[in-house]
Amino acid sequence: MLDLESLTPREALGRALSDLGDLRKDVVVLVADTGETTRARLFAERHPERFFNVGIAEQSLVGIAAGLALAGFMPYALTFAAFMTRAWEQSRNSVDRLGLPVRLVGTHAGFADAYDGPSHQALEDIALFRVLPNFTVLVPADSCEVYRAVTASASVKGPVYIRVGRDFHIPTTCGLYDRFEVGRAYVVLEGSDVAIFTTGITLPLAVEAAQVLRDRGISAAVVHFPTVKPLDYATVEKYAAATGAVLTVEEHMVHGGFGSAVAEYLAQTRPTKMAIMGLKSYGRTAKSPQELYQLFGLTPENIAARAEELVKLR
Amino acid sequence: MERGVLGLDELICKARRYVVLMAGYDPGIHLGSSLSVLEIVAALYGTGRLKFNVANGAHNRNYFVLSKGHAIHAVYALAAAMGYLTVDELRETGSVGSRLQNHPEVDTPFVDVPNSGSLGQGISLAVGLALGLRLRGEPGRVYLVTGDGELDEGQSWESFAVAAHYGLNNLVTIVDLNNVQLDGHSEEVLRKGDLAGRFKSLGFEVFEVDGHDVAAIISALEKAENSAKPAVVIAKTVRGRGVPSIEDTAKQRLSRDEALSHVNNIC
Repeated sequence: MLDLESLTPREALGRALSDLGDLRKDVVVLVADTGETTRARLFAERHPERFFNVGIAEQSLVGIAAGLALAGFMPYALTFAAFMTRAWEQSRNSVDRLGLPVRLVGTHAGFADAYDGPSHQALEDIALFRVLPNFTVLVPADSCEVYRAVTASASVKGPVYIRVGRDFHIPTTCGLYDRFEVGRAYVVLEGSDVAIFTTGITLPLAVEAAQVLRDRGISAAVVHFPTVKPLDYATVEKYAAATGAVLTVEEHMVHGGFGSAVAEYLAQTRPTKMAIMGLKSYGRTAKSPQELYQLFGLTPENIAARAEELVKLR
Repeated sequence: MERGVLGLDELICKARRYVVLMAGYDPGIHLGSSLSVLEIVAALYGTGRLKFNVANGAHNRNYFVLSKGHAIHAVYALAAAMGYLTVDELRETGSVGSRLQNHPEVDTPFVDVPNSGSLGQGISLAVGLALGLRLRGEPGRVYLVTGDGELDEGQSWESFAVAAHYGLNNLVTIVDLNNVQLDGHSEEVLRKGDLAGRFKSLGFEVFEVDGHDVAAIISALEKAENSAKPAVVIAKTVRGRGVPSIEDTAKQRLSRDEALSHVNNIC
């Protein structure tokens, strides 16, 4: 049995693709000089004939992936999330408008690549892919979820964007559920005063925040959304109704991302007191992602404080 | 071959009239570019290399990528000349209800890559398609038609390098070198350098021809198809060919009267 918890998120990505390649002969993997850094190498070692390196050229990466999809393949194209967005217009015109089964995997997303600074830290990718009508957007929290999300993505009909980190993660989801379903949210903690919605790596921070809140007498639900699009509207609605206060937390800009997706829905169906936590500016070079979470306020203490404010506003 | 080319001359003449006819009904079409690429399209469809009556998604055939998608009216015109579209349908081009959209779209007939309005992207798609056909062991070729202005896009060269690197000799590229782009003559807008040299340095085999001599294009295609390396046919053409008032200019539009009066004066 594969011990997913011991893998880093990008190793889980490489393993998932490699295993998927065993199951499906139509899976091909493309990289933009990122075979090693994304761990696509793990696929290349097992399926060398279905692995293509197109050089440092993201627009070409996405376009060639689309061409392979036209030829009947299911391409997974991998590069840093920060540079995948360089091919946004190709994602729109060559992939999304045709509804092709291309899977774009953006690694080193958020603050995962603390070491290389803001040029390498994608904080806008969820917004950019979410706006394209046919794209599914998956934002797994840890290695277990990366493995499961990548595996599940193979059954999606249209294009998919999968947001992956690098090495840092706090294993949280391995025992949380048995099966990853695209489009489904997972309830981590039940609560009645406030609902904290997370996507990606912010899940363990919210779980810790809920414990802090419990000590202060506030009952916080934590619901995890590894699929940002299509959003699990029923679960959003249920927890908004049950608590009357929704706090979203993401490792992404506060505009256009996961929080916006929740707000768009609730504003039109069940206006609810809400706060959107995330980033409002570019990152910074640091020694670790955790250092950046501290610097930019993505901490359990801050999440708890924002939740407490919301409860008072209800 | 001779007989085929003679037959083609008539088809090309008819198609050229149809392109101008469409410009009369829809001034939004890219007239000059559709006229420059006409013999190239005829060399592909008129010789059976590509077929108008092949269902999309069919395998074991050749594929067509018109990366300079704005010249799609050359394809519509030739299809009509060969009996696959009616003149009534041509008149409707560019209307919301027409499948003859002004760039290849998902519902556009006769195109394998229905999204080539954004320049440079058809080149990557063609390279991916050729790579995929080879991986499947399919014998079909991908015929890719690009413009010279389009080669300003960095993405073009990113993907040509991939074609050369992976030795995709099932990809046949034809450059419609009409030397004009939106803002004027191509060399004045942005220098293209030694185009043949750029392809050769990547590892392409290069054939240069007169792009209005259909027999010469066909002969170059035959050589390109037998090349061990990916091959490119650089076809020197005249933008607006056949309509003297717009030849070799960035001008794309004719008044309706001018267009309709021209229809019968061409060839």
